[in-house]
Amino acid sequence: MNLEFDFDNVEITEFGIGLDDVDDQDFCCMAVDDEVQSALREMAQTTWKSMCESTSEPPLYDPSEKYESFEYVHLPLDNELANRMRELHNADDLPMNSAALSDPTKIFCYFARMTDAEERRLTALHRATQFKGVLKSRLIFQRLITDALKFVEDNVFKLDKDFDLLIDASYVHILRPSAFEFAGNLQGAVLAAVPENIRLIQSELEFVDLSSVQNYAIKHPRAARYLASIRCQNQAQNVDRLALD
Amino acid sequence: MVGPHQNQGLKFVRLMMVLGSLSPLFILWAIRGNNLVPDRFFLPFCALMIVVPNAVLWQRENTAKKLKEKREIVVGKAEDHRDYLLVYLFTMLLPLYAVDLVTWRDFAAELAALGFIIFLFWHLNLYYLNILFAMRGYRIFTVYPPTDDNPITGKESQVLITRRVTVSPGDRLVVYRLSDTVYLEMDK
Repeated sequence: MNLEFDFDNVEITEFGIGLDDVDDQDFCCMAVDDEVQSALREMAQTTWKSMCESTSEPPLYDPSEKYESFEYVHLPLDNELANRMRELHNADDLPMNSAALSDPTKIFCYFARMTDAEERRLTALHRATQFKGVLKSRLIFQRLITDALKFVEDNVFKLDKDFDLLIDASYVHILRPSAFEFAGNLQGAVLAAVPENIRLIQSELEFVDLSSVQNYAIKHPRAARYLASIRCQNQAQNVDRLALD
Repeated sequence: MVGPHQNQGLKFVRLMMVLGSLSPLFILWAIRGNNLVPDRFFLPFCALMIVVPNAVLWQRENTAKKLKEKREIVVGKAEDHRDYLLVYLFTMLLPLYAVDLVTWRDFAAELAALGFIIFLFWHLNLYYLNILFAMRGYRIFTVYPPTDDNPITGKESQVLITRRVTVSPGDRLVVYRLSDTVYLEMDK
């Protein structure tokens, strides 16, 4: 599988964060200097390298599967499970917010958006760590007029060595499926999609009463994931009633 | 005009840009002089108020270029705001210049008026109305994001300072950031 992006000719590198709002998630950009931009590009390249070393034919992401913490899978960008990631990737003119780090508890992810010379866009996203991105770091600092070391406290935004996923024009390349599910708010999405998934599956399986399945799946994420999986992979098509009996 | 509710960084630079937008007034004051403050104090003050803010703006442009503070702006709708410069000239500059400073109370009132204008320019985010941009051939556009059904696409307008004569819907522009809502398209 190829990445539709040229790392050697990156024209623009932007940095942004995702914030948990009261009833939704917000995404905004923050200014970063050229060194940080370079670090973000290196992280994205490391991520792609890890994916390539992992497998050349990544399987399709299946919401009903249980994945390892580090496992390369892919999902077409037009798949309904990739809605949130598609919106982020395609969003234009994201607002700039210099004060976005003022409440680090709201940060749930950070991302980089890059544009190459052919105006192709790559979005790379990483889930915020357990420290929610901003660490109260205690750095050892050696003063100039003495050899004594002292602690200095400062707010530090910690970048990781790679990203959890990359998004190009066609696919979401997922290196850490759990991070994709978290950042893409997949659990909420599959739970919300239960009625629609039931309706579509029901249209294929008119001879089965799925109302009890719907009632169960609305409250149980695992069942909702199975429904989403059946729906996305069209597994309800051409099912023989006799075979079910 | 950019909404005053938008959160913007670079407070010092924005303040300097407000003062920079008042440069023509200080030039006129310096030429005209007054009977209250001796020229040996008044002229250096005016010179300072002209040079420092514009030097900061120049430095900000260079810093943005050096640090590659670039981003892509996609144009949904653009409005040419040449008329803002006229409004600025006739509603702010000329009335302030026309006042005769005969007494110290006149002088104090003039400074107070200047303070109000600085506050309003700051509060209403009108700090990009710098006549130097016009002299360098730049135009000012207010750019609105595309209206699509993507909930993440930006909703706030941005100010674009560019040498382009027209900015059309669908244009994708690579611009340098002067502040969170003001962007400068420099020559390559």
